[in-house]
Amino acid sequence: MRLGTVIGRVTLSVTVPSLAGARWLIVSPFTRDHFQNGSEPPPGLSKDPSLVVYDDMGGGVGQTIGFIEGREAACPFAGPTPVDATNAALIDEINYTPLKS
Amino acid sequence: MLLARVEGNVVATRKHPSLEGWRLVICQPIDGTGQAEGVPQVAIDAHGAGLHERVIISSDGMAARKAVGDDRSPARWLIVGIVDENS
Repeated sequence: MRLGTVIGRVTLSVTVPSLAGARWLIVSPFTRDHFQNGSEPPPGLSKDPSLVVYDDMGGGVGQTIGFIEGREAACPFAGPTPVDATNAALIDEINYTPLKS
Repeated sequence: MLLARVEGNVVATRKHPSLEGWRLVICQPIDGTGQAEGVPQVAIDAHGAGLHERVIISSDGMAARKAVGDDRSPARWLIVGIVDENS
């Protein structure tokens, strides 16, 4: 799971049948230099490219979420589904203490 | 599997039911000398790894699904062990 801030939403008018009615979020993923500590997301966007995440948790813009990437993103679905990233958690608080080297 | 350092933890009230009760820790992949490599990942932790402790994390989703006991869980990264020493 990676963490990121929701920066927008996407709505699809035409989809594959297995994804009809799905909610999609645009997420800016946290990097080591751009990470949330506490309950407020860091200002601005991270350097990593943003991505679209399937959402069945009800995430909104400005919230921090934890999303799963890769093959496991499709695991919660009953049948084969073309999904690359799934929202798995709405994050309340992060305790982040990177070790300075 | 990756060598990583525990650099924090995450609190989430609303999450996939299979992650309920699991400790979610932020793991920063590192090289042999402890330099950060790549982006931090959140892993499920059954071993109670402490802050700044070195661990091995695995991206084996099948093992993670077995660990949480849910075939439909999206869990992917899990801590497989705590490192004593590496040379």
